[in-house]
Amino acid sequence: MTTTTQGATQPAPIVRIEGVSKRFRRGGEDLTVLDGLDLTIPEGEFVALMGPSGSGKSTLLNLIAGLDRPTSGRVVVANNDLGAMSDGQLAAFRARHLGFIFQTYNLMPVLTAAENVELPLLLTKLPSAERQRRALIALRVVGLEDRVHHTPRQLSGGQEQRVAIARAIVNDPTILVADEPTGDLDRKSADAILDLLVKLNTDMKKTIVMVTHDPAAAERATVTRRMNKGLLQ
Amino acid sequence: MVPLSYSVRNLRVRATTTAATALGVAMVVFVFAAVLMLAQGIKRTMGRNGADDVAVVLRDGSDGEMASDIDLPAANLITNAPEVRRRPDGRPDAVAETMVVIILDKLGTDGVSNVAVRGVTEDALAFRPTMRIGEGRALRPGSDECVVGRSIAGRFRGLALGQSFEVKKNRRLTVVGILDDNGSAYESEVWADRDTLRSAFGRAASVSSVRVRLTGAGRFASLRTALESNRQLQVDVKRETQFYDEQSQGTATFIQAIGLLVAVFFSFGAMIGAMITMHAAVAARQREIGTLRALGFSKLSILASFLFESVVLSLLGGAVGALAATAMRFVHLSIVNFATWSEIVFEFTPTPGILASSLVFAGVMGLFGGMFPAVRAARIDILEALRGA
Repeated sequence: MTTTTQGATQPAPIVRIEGVSKRFRRGGEDLTVLDGLDLTIPEGEFVALMGPSGSGKSTLLNLIAGLDRPTSGRVVVANNDLGAMSDGQLAAFRARHLGFIFQTYNLMPVLTAAENVELPLLLTKLPSAERQRRALIALRVVGLEDRVHHTPRQLSGGQEQRVAIARAIVNDPTILVADEPTGDLDRKSADAILDLLVKLNTDMKKTIVMVTHDPAAAERATVTRRMNKGLLQ
Repeated sequence: MVPLSYSVRNLRVRATTTAATALGVAMVVFVFAAVLMLAQGIKRTMGRNGADDVAVVLRDGSDGEMASDIDLPAANLITNAPEVRRRPDGRPDAVAETMVVIILDKLGTDGVSNVAVRGVTEDALAFRPTMRIGEGRALRPGSDECVVGRSIAGRFRGLALGQSFEVKKNRRLTVVGILDDNGSAYESEVWADRDTLRSAFGRAASVSSVRVRLTGAGRFASLRTALESNRQLQVDVKRETQFYDEQSQGTATFIQAIGLLVAVFFSFGAMIGAMITMHAAVAARQREIGTLRALGFSKLSILASFLFESVVLSLLGGAVGALAATAMRFVHLSIVNFATWSEIVFEFTPTPGILASSLVFAGVMGLFGGMFPAVRAARIDILEALRGA
């Protein structure tokens, strides 16, 4: 495990979070989930966010992913100030820069593996044949080229998550966000997924931000940041 | 754009719900299509009688043959107009006929119904080239014989070949032939000798209508001006096509209005059905919607996807309904024609236009039924949806 270091050779930050607070109103009560948080993630880093439930790690991930907006402060991802963007601009930003990996895989049950992987490419202007070619390459990267026409129901949990990872990388995103990617998997499948994420980080230089409860998962990241009560420790 | 296959396959996955909702739409579209086919049948049946180069002359102000009365000297004057074509034997190509309505027992029911009886001369068949005696023979002039239209033959007591019926008390007519005319309104009439009929009903020397064939369709205006400006005659002159158009209008419009009212009324039920189905689909697929939104699909594409699904669902039902209505063409229906107050037999007549309108109607039901659920799906909060079921 290492911690972030600031130095002259450090790559440019892909994520800059400056004084970000996030407050919710729940049951008539104000809830501060993030409290003036600062964070910089350099390009090519594999960051694990850990912390107890309610510490604000998923909220932070959602802010980085452009799924949520801060109550105050700035979130800048790939030189985009997310707070200044409209809903439509945020959707376009996610399509261009983000790859999502969810705990429960979130594949479309009625679509085949290849069709699921192709989904993000439908938001590009690529012709159908090129989209299918890229989906196939992504499935090959995750080792599922023989499951192209299988639907999620015909796959194991680990395979489903690998399809989800193929979907996350198919449009060559700037950053991958993973929310408990191994949370629903047994140890063996979880290790395979983590191997894949490490490979994406080292071989394809993908920046990865991963929220996890699993210390074994966090070990595989290059950096682990711990959160507690809305602050980074 | 969310792939169309996503919407279509989701319909297939919940096949039972899809089938039940589509069936609701199918029933409404069935009523809608059947009514239009019936109205079309009425128009076609009546319109079939019309020829462009034939003019119908009725007494001024009468809205049909039944109410019209033209005395024989006037009828002779009309048939001898210069615009009227001549037969090879030199006589005018025209017919002057009497119409009466009689009441007969309807077979298969306890009731009675009106039947139109046309008093004709020997030129009646020759004047109408599409008509022929399908069975039996033509009636003999001056006899107590008659021929019966194909549509009503066998539907009333005494109206089958070889049978007889009372046209007036103690005055029987014997059926010697069956008339065919491609399902036109003439097939719902009985034809008897004009003089026999006139004497049976004690009519003076008059007829109900005069039909003349023009030397050319373009001579109509000239004939009309000549006859209508003759104050002695006091007649209305119409093209035969226009005459039948007007005759069928009332009945067709009435059927169409009632039917469409029923269809539109029931369509609300079908739309609510589609709405409930689509609401359930949105609720069950919250996480999928959240995922699509997270991947970058816009609110509009989510809205379009669910609307498309709803429209496809309705179109499925619409296609089934329209197809079922098409099968109605084998059913013959008799209704009272408002112009003659006598029974007339129609077929449901499907046309490509009616099938297209039925599908459009189904699509509109899907669009309206799916609108609220689709808007709900589009407005869903991404994070809540991702946490959802």
